[in-house]
Amino acid sequence: MLEYAAYALALFSLGMYVVLDGYDLGVGMLSLAAGPERRREYGEIVATAWDANESWIILAGVVLWAGLPGAYSVVLPAVYLPLVGMLIAVILRGLGLEMHSAAGGYRRGWALLFGGASLAAAVCQGLVLGAVLTGPRQEGGHFTGGAFDWLSPYSLLCALGLVVVYLLAGAAWLQDKTDGWSRSRTRRTGRALLAATAALAVVLGLLLPGADPQHLRLDEPLRAAAFWLAVAVAVGAGAVAWSGFGRAPDWRPFAAVATLTAAGLLALVALTAPVVVPPASTVHQAASPHSSELFLVLGVGLCMPFVLAYNVYAWRSFRGKYTDPVEQVLPPLRAVPRAPVAPASPSGTVRTVLRRILLVVLGILATALSQDVFGGVAEWIGPLGVTVLAGVALAAWIATDRRDLRSGCFDAEAERTP
Amino acid sequence: MASPAVVELSRWQFAITAVFHMTFPALTVGLSVLLAVVYTVYVRTGNPLYLQIFRFWKKIFAVGFGLGVVAGTVMTFEFGLNWGTYAHAVGPVIGVTIGMEVITAFFLEAGFIGLMLYGDGRIRPRTMALACWMVAFGTLLSTTWILSANSWMQDPVGYRKVDGQFHAEDWVSVLLNPAFAHRFPHMLLAVLISAAWFVGGISAWYLVKNRVTAQPMARRCLSIALGVLGVLMPIQLYVGDGTAVFMGQHQLPKLEAFEGNWKSDNNGYNLLVVPDTERGENRLHVEVPYLGSVIAQDLSGKTNTPGLLQTPPDERPNMWTTFYGFRAMYFTALLMFATAFAGVVLRLRRRLFDSPRFLRWMVWMTPAGIIAITGGWIVAETGRQPWVVYGQLRTADAVSHLSVFEVATTLAGFVLLYVTLLAIWVRYIVRTVKAGPEPLPTGPAAPDVPEALVA
Repeated sequence: MLEYAAYALALFSLGMYVVLDGYDLGVGMLSLAAGPERRREYGEIVATAWDANESWIILAGVVLWAGLPGAYSVVLPAVYLPLVGMLIAVILRGLGLEMHSAAGGYRRGWALLFGGASLAAAVCQGLVLGAVLTGPRQEGGHFTGGAFDWLSPYSLLCALGLVVVYLLAGAAWLQDKTDGWSRSRTRRTGRALLAATAALAVVLGLLLPGADPQHLRLDEPLRAAAFWLAVAVAVGAGAVAWSGFGRAPDWRPFAAVATLTAAGLLALVALTAPVVVPPASTVHQAASPHSSELFLVLGVGLCMPFVLAYNVYAWRSFRGKYTDPVEQVLPPLRAVPRAPVAPASPSGTVRTVLRRILLVVLGILATALSQDVFGGVAEWIGPLGVTVLAGVALAAWIATDRRDLRSGCFDAEAERTP
Repeated sequence: MASPAVVELSRWQFAITAVFHMTFPALTVGLSVLLAVVYTVYVRTGNPLYLQIFRFWKKIFAVGFGLGVVAGTVMTFEFGLNWGTYAHAVGPVIGVTIGMEVITAFFLEAGFIGLMLYGDGRIRPRTMALACWMVAFGTLLSTTWILSANSWMQDPVGYRKVDGQFHAEDWVSVLLNPAFAHRFPHMLLAVLISAAWFVGGISAWYLVKNRVTAQPMARRCLSIALGVLGVLMPIQLYVGDGTAVFMGQHQLPKLEAFEGNWKSDNNGYNLLVVPDTERGENRLHVEVPYLGSVIAQDLSGKTNTPGLLQTPPDERPNMWTTFYGFRAMYFTALLMFATAFAGVVLRLRRRLFDSPRFLRWMVWMTPAGIIAITGGWIVAETGRQPWVVYGQLRTADAVSHLSVFEVATTLAGFVLLYVTLLAIWVRYIVRTVKAGPEPLPTGPAAPDVPEALVA
């Protein structure tokens, strides 16, 4: 049974990713169609959260690896090129975003990189999804297919579908986060994207039985009930989103789109479970041994409430409309007059040479002590020597630091009045 | 059976992505601790100097952290992409360990990094301080899990093999494996030390350039960096020595390769070798006589270092990478130790902040820690070859069913991307450092606690 818990965890993480990073990628793609001012704003909206949002796909990946290694080791090589493409796009997106954010002001190149990489990442993810649904060739838990098996009309259609879903989430998020021009556009954009999403969902759903090599058994009553329930929820959420676009409260479209996405994913699961890799590789076959599932489910499961709690906390800290942060000017630093540095009195050649020789010998001895060279003589010499060395350094640090603090070394220098 | 070319290309790809990824945590783990400390000091004392320090290093930390995260994401997926057989075999052990890393550490960092980087002026200072500590704690926790996973591959324990798959029998011994006990403290110290060199080197640069506005900050940061280094360097040499001894006991071929001997008849210490793998001898070697024996704790100078010919040819690691990886780490470590020692002496003699020669040397030492960490990981990983799980799973048997075309194109893509990224990253650091910290106005009196902190 535990393997189903691991499967559920992987699905949950994947769902969280699609909902959360979906809006990030969507906002990124929408920024391509916006002007410079908006682009900068869109980037800043994503910057506060993309890191946390992206973590969910990493979690989905490792839970799949740990809980269902039989699926992980087949799926990843099968979608090698699009997945590496997605990783590279994700790197470029992070680069564009962080550099743009750190640069201050609008930088066309970084902004376009952020938007373009968002689009590329979404396309690659769609291709991966399509490739998984059409079933990689495998034998004995290993992928045996070719380099371009992932490329099919269905996977291309999936890529288009996912791009539209992410754009929809992005538009809904923008309504929640922005004011003025961007907010006023969401009604038209949102509804158009919602219509496109619905159309593509129908097309993809109707084509699925032909593309997926497994036998989809909608004749089983329980499965059919779950499927149609999920579809009903999705349709309901779609309706709420339709009426919510461009109308207060501004959080409603995103909540509805998130529900719609989650319901869509659940509908897909209802169709395919317990098969994880079509046509016939099930959760049970791909699973880890009991000891690993137990550790994974307990460990990840127990941490999950905390993770959700502080993610919600971080998210609440930035809730509401995006505003530029209040520029905080640094308060003044204390300035003290500093005594002019006395020129070092020359200490004589002989003394200097002697001092340096002594210090070099001391240094070599300290190195030898630290490396436990004298461990052969007596075992305690090494640990004791290191403790003494580190202790002396610590004491010297504390003493000299306090001395310098008192002498105003870390204060600004006041202009000396003549 | 995969083609040798796919194995070779996949190994290169993993090596390049891993080394590239490693350079970021080598800075950001230590920087996150520094940021948490200085922000806390600022909240407690209200001294604007610490806010200036915080804002300056935050700029470098933000970009480094972001790049480290995305480069790390690549590695998570590479285990399955290129090493599908490995992923299937060790998923029940390593997959779970990495899973715990993601849920406990990765999320902690990611959840609070937004607050830490963008919270200034939006959230209360105390909350900011908490966020900084959570990020620092997350990076340290992440180091712990990763070292646990990698150490298990160096010296696997507590498992049972079923149909080629590793099943964990005893989680305590899997997670707290013997290699972990040595390698974790070594790595933890290493990341703190490398960040200290980075901070110290850049601070020294401001002092060398005599940048007036940055003087208090540069002195304060140099003091912190050299203080940390003075304390940690002796401990690190001791821990590193213990790690090498441990590896000699548990992975003898690695020690044979990193000491650069073929026959076991050398009591000297090799400074430089030109190995000939085919013939099993060194074409050239430069050594310090007797030193090998002394380092092996035999002061009489009679103990010989074991050589690689003891190991069967199909179980030998590559001496080039292992030897020079180790030398890069060890020689840099000696320089670091000597510099830290000189720093303590100069500070005691009140000469630290106006010793131009020492400060200029400190600037050269800026990347020392990163070089040492990179060298160390090259020893750890290439010295374990030809095994991926030592003694249990060969690297050549661990690879996915891929075509040369797939791996070659993505390898080229990663190389191109990473070279560009590295150039952008270095340029960004240089520009940020040159631009300097934001100017701090000066006032005559001790600063009052700002109103924002009281509220």
